Amino acid sequence: MKTFKLENEPKIETGFKTPDDYFENFSVKMIEQLPAGEPKIIYIFQKRKNIILMVAAVLVIALMIPNLNYTTASSQALDRIALENYINYQSNVNQYDLMRVLETKDITNMNTSIVLEDETIEDVLSANSNLENLILE
Amino acid sequence: MQEEQEFIKRLLNPKTQNQAFQRLISDYQRPLYNHVRNIVLNHDDTDDVLQNTFIKIFRHLKNFNGDSKIFSWMYRIATNEALTFLKQKSKLSGISSETLQNKTLDNLEADVFFDGNEIQLKLQKAIALLPEKQQLIFKMKYFEELKYEEISEILGTSVGGLKASYHIAVKKIETYVSTN
Repeated sequence: MKTFKLENEPKIETGFKTPDDYFENFSVKMIEQLPAGEPKIIYIFQKRKNIILMVAAVLVIALMIPNLNYTTASSQALDRIALENYINYQSNVNQYDLMRVLETKDITNMNTSIVLEDETIEDVLSANSNLENLILE
Repeated sequence: MQEEQEFIKRLLNPKTQNQAFQRLISDYQRPLYNHVRNIVLNHDDTDDVLQNTFIKIFRHLKNFNGDSKIFSWMYRIATNEALTFLKQKSKLSGISSETLQNKTLDNLEADVFFDGNEIQLKLQKAIALLPEKQQLIFKMKYFEELKYEEISEILGTSVGGLKASYHIAVKKIETYVSTN
C-alpha cells in the first residue's frame, strides 16, 4: 500500500469552478441589491404622540373647569350687598333681636360723626315716604 | 493599516459609502466566494450565501468598531452565514449535517461547476469525515492558504491550537487517502 503524504504531493486544488463572468455580474448584482439608505424608523406611537398629548391636555382642562369654578366661587369674599339682602329677606333677625344683642358699648362704637347739611337731611326726609311710620316706631 | 483606517472611514461615510463598498466587493468577492464554496460545496448555495454575506456586511458596517481587521471581520460573517445555511438546509431536509454533506459530495461528480479528478474528489471525501472545526481549519490553511494568525483572528482560536488541529486533520486525511 502506497502511503499518501500530503506535503509530498503537488498542491491539490479544490476543483471548483464558477460560471463565466460570474464575478463581473456578481458585483453589479450586489450593488443593485444594496439597500438605498436605511429609512428612518418612525414608530406609530411616536408619530401620534403629539396628537395624543394634545387630546390628553384638552381633556384634563375640560375636566378641571367645574372644579376651577367651584374653587373660584368659594375663595371669593362674601359679597356685602348679597349678605345684607340675605339677612333682610332670608333670616328671622329683626330690629328687636339686634337691640337685644347690641350693648351700649357696641352702639357707642357705631356712632360716627356724620356731618350732614340741613338741605341733605331735608332731601332724604322728603324722599322717604315711610317717614311717618319710622317716627311712630 | 493607515490605508485601512481611511478605507473604513469612507465605508462609514454615507457620501462615500457606496463607492467604497463597490471596491470592497471587488476586492473580496473571490476570496470570500472560495471560502464559502469550500464550506457549502455547491455553487448555487455559495451564490446565495455570498449575497447574504455582503448584504449583512453592508448593514452592519456601522457596528464595525475597528478592533479587528476588516478582512477577518468579513471572513467571520461569511463563515457564520455558511454554517448557518448548512444547519438550516439540513433541518429543512430533515437530515443530519453529516448526511447532507455526504449527499452533496455524491452530487459533486455530476456538478457542472466541479471538474475535479479522482484525488480531488477523494480529498473532499476525506475532509468530510473530519469534525466541523477541523474541516474549517484544514480548508482555510490548505486551500485558501491563510496564515495561522489570520485564521486565529477569524475563528478566535489560538495559533497553537490551530497548528495542532491542522496537524491532526492532515494525518486523518493521509490515512483515509492511503486506505481508500
